[in-house]
Amino acid sequence: MRTRVVVALLAVAVAVAGCGSTVAPESVSVSPAEPWPSGAAEVTTTPTAANAADCDREASLRPGPLPSPGAMPPGSTMAAIAERGRLIAGVDQSTDLFGSRNPATGQLEGFDIDIAREIARAIFGDPNRIQLRVVNAKERESVLQSGEVDVVVRTYSITCERKQVVDFSTVYYYADQKILSAKGSGIDSAAALGGKRVCAVSGTTSLSKLLGFNPRPQVFSATTWTDCLVMLQQGQVDAISTDDSVLKGLAVQDPTVGVSGDSIAKEPYGIGVNKDHEDLVRFVNGVLEKMRDDGTWERLYEARLQQALGPSPGPPAPRYED
Amino acid sequence: MGSPGTLDTRPSTAWLRRLARTTPGVIGIIALGVAAICVIAGVVCGAQLDGRIDERNAVLTRSEPFAYAAQNLYAALSAADAAAASAFLSGGIETAEMRAQYQQALARASSALADATAGTTDTETRTAMAEISVQLGAYTALVEAARANNRQGNVIGSAYLREASTLMQTSLLLRAENVYTGKLATVAEGQRAVGSLPVVSLVLLALAIVGIGVSSVMMYRRTNRQFNIGLVVAAATVILVIGWVVVATQLAAGEIEHSRTEGSERFEQLARARILAQKARTDETLELIARGDIAAGEKSFYSHIDELGKLLEAAPAAAKDAVQKWTDSHRKQVEAYNGGDYGAAVAQAIGPDPAASATQFAAVESNLRDGIERTRETLRDRVSAAGTWLAWSPTATLVLMVVAASAAVVGLWPRLKEFL
Repeated sequence: MRTRVVVALLAVAVAVAGCGSTVAPESVSVSPAEPWPSGAAEVTTTPTAANAADCDREASLRPGPLPSPGAMPPGSTMAAIAERGRLIAGVDQSTDLFGSRNPATGQLEGFDIDIAREIARAIFGDPNRIQLRVVNAKERESVLQSGEVDVVVRTYSITCERKQVVDFSTVYYYADQKILSAKGSGIDSAAALGGKRVCAVSGTTSLSKLLGFNPRPQVFSATTWTDCLVMLQQGQVDAISTDDSVLKGLAVQDPTVGVSGDSIAKEPYGIGVNKDHEDLVRFVNGVLEKMRDDGTWERLYEARLQQALGPSPGPPAPRYED
Repeated sequence: MGSPGTLDTRPSTAWLRRLARTTPGVIGIIALGVAAICVIAGVVCGAQLDGRIDERNAVLTRSEPFAYAAQNLYAALSAADAAAASAFLSGGIETAEMRAQYQQALARASSALADATAGTTDTETRTAMAEISVQLGAYTALVEAARANNRQGNVIGSAYLREASTLMQTSLLLRAENVYTGKLATVAEGQRAVGSLPVVSLVLLALAIVGIGVSSVMMYRRTNRQFNIGLVVAAATVILVIGWVVVATQLAAGEIEHSRTEGSERFEQLARARILAQKARTDETLELIARGDIAAGEKSFYSHIDELGKLLEAAPAAAKDAVQKWTDSHRKQVEAYNGGDYGAAVAQAIGPDPAASATQFAAVESNLRDGIERTRETLRDRVSAAGTWLAWSPTATLVLMVVAASAAVVGLWPRLKEFL
């Protein structure tokens, strides 16, 4: 009896000593890294478009005679800017052709920025008396309203909705909303976008247009147009849709993509000004008038846009409401 | 085994009960009982003290080096991002020096990554490290995409760099910080364990004393001899062991207390300060890269600087001085920026001027790094010293308790022999 117990105990002891020593450590596994640009997100809710009453969106205020540089009428908004010593312009730093940061020099340059410099030249006689403040597309109204910037020159489409909160100059450029996609992908019309993943910058007219399409594409919003191109290159979206002027600026950076399709919408670009600064709107319109008349507009087009966008269509004719 | 077992025990317990009524039986039981409790107390005591030495070794060879590596990892990752941002801000193609800084930071990050995972068994840490590893690969890929595009004059280069920086700030650094915090908690746990009183051992030792006392009373009743020399020696030995255990663990606890106040608490403050300095530096360069409204960036910068100032109250004057100069330089940067002189603002932030932010930040960073190295030494020395106090304790307590057990048996043997 006792020996049997001892044998049993020994057997248990041997068994216990034998296990627990050869368990492999658990392996870890992680999913691949898939970085997205900051602020990129899928747009799932259609913003309830505060449908502005129809208006003549391209009509602006008629300019008076342009005061000569350094002699702004006392008490005017321009005089206050002259007093400060520089014009503060809201611009873009990531849209090729219109407003982008030259990687080689770190300087901001483009058609929009040249126009902002022309306004500075008209006030000071010096195009360099300017502070370029980068603003995101969706901040354009708020920086004008808060007075953080004097003017916004940033591929800014004039719409009736926006005209309720800010004032616009006359049209200085016409763009057409088109589609950018990989060459040969067949995504080249509004109908072909249905069900595809399409990117646009939040706060732009292009984004609102995309959300209204039927069949509706899967819409992603980003902070800048180059973020959209990054997403396209990373395979996170199939197409980008916005103004052809912007898209061609993207297409020059990637030979595998192309701009295609008929015009989805016509976009008139204007210079945004605070609603309380009627005198500045008239002044800016005067500057634009002068640029059209003395060939500055053509010169800037040739320098900044001609190579990517083709021969000049000529400056848009102004329309005034008064 | 149920029924034969119960059948078997009944006669044996009856036999025991009969034996317990006789004097030699009582003496035998006392001898065996005292010897048993002494040996058990000795074994448990030795094991518990041995456990404290193991904890100390774990702190010195695993948790502390891991925590150190984890904070190095954070600093290296942050430095890589800062180098990439500076290279971008400087415009044009980055200088060889900037490229070297970036690559060295990456090498430091990879080394720290290897150090922080060496021999780690917990899945959570290894998963976090694997994630950092895979994302670091993605990060460098994005930085190189940015470089290639910058060289061709493509504006998209800055978009890739922004994406890289976002990945770093919102994912990599966050994970590194979590790992670091976790490792530091493990160090604190280890320290507590080394310095704690071995309660179970002390209870068993106390029980041994009580057992010897009760045995003495019973012996007195049975044999009319006041003291049994064996039991007296056993009692004295057990009291000696109790004293040894209490003194050794208290001395160790004292060292651990030092290792905490002069080591880990200080280490934690400095490492936290280093992280805050890196975050403030990121704030000021990102402001310039975004080139828009800087209100949010300024708020973040000053909240990081204020917190940093509080942590550095007890720091050497050099560190505080550098933070002050850095903040002054930052003020100039913001003045230039708000005054429309972007070029001057960039020069103030990343330029080589010795009074400018880059140099002053480097001074803050190296001060904190040196401070971390020093407190690390203190921490390790103190924890190591705590182990020295405990070094011979497990063996000594076990041997002494075996001595106590033998003394009891040897002392009781002549009394038992009288009946044989």
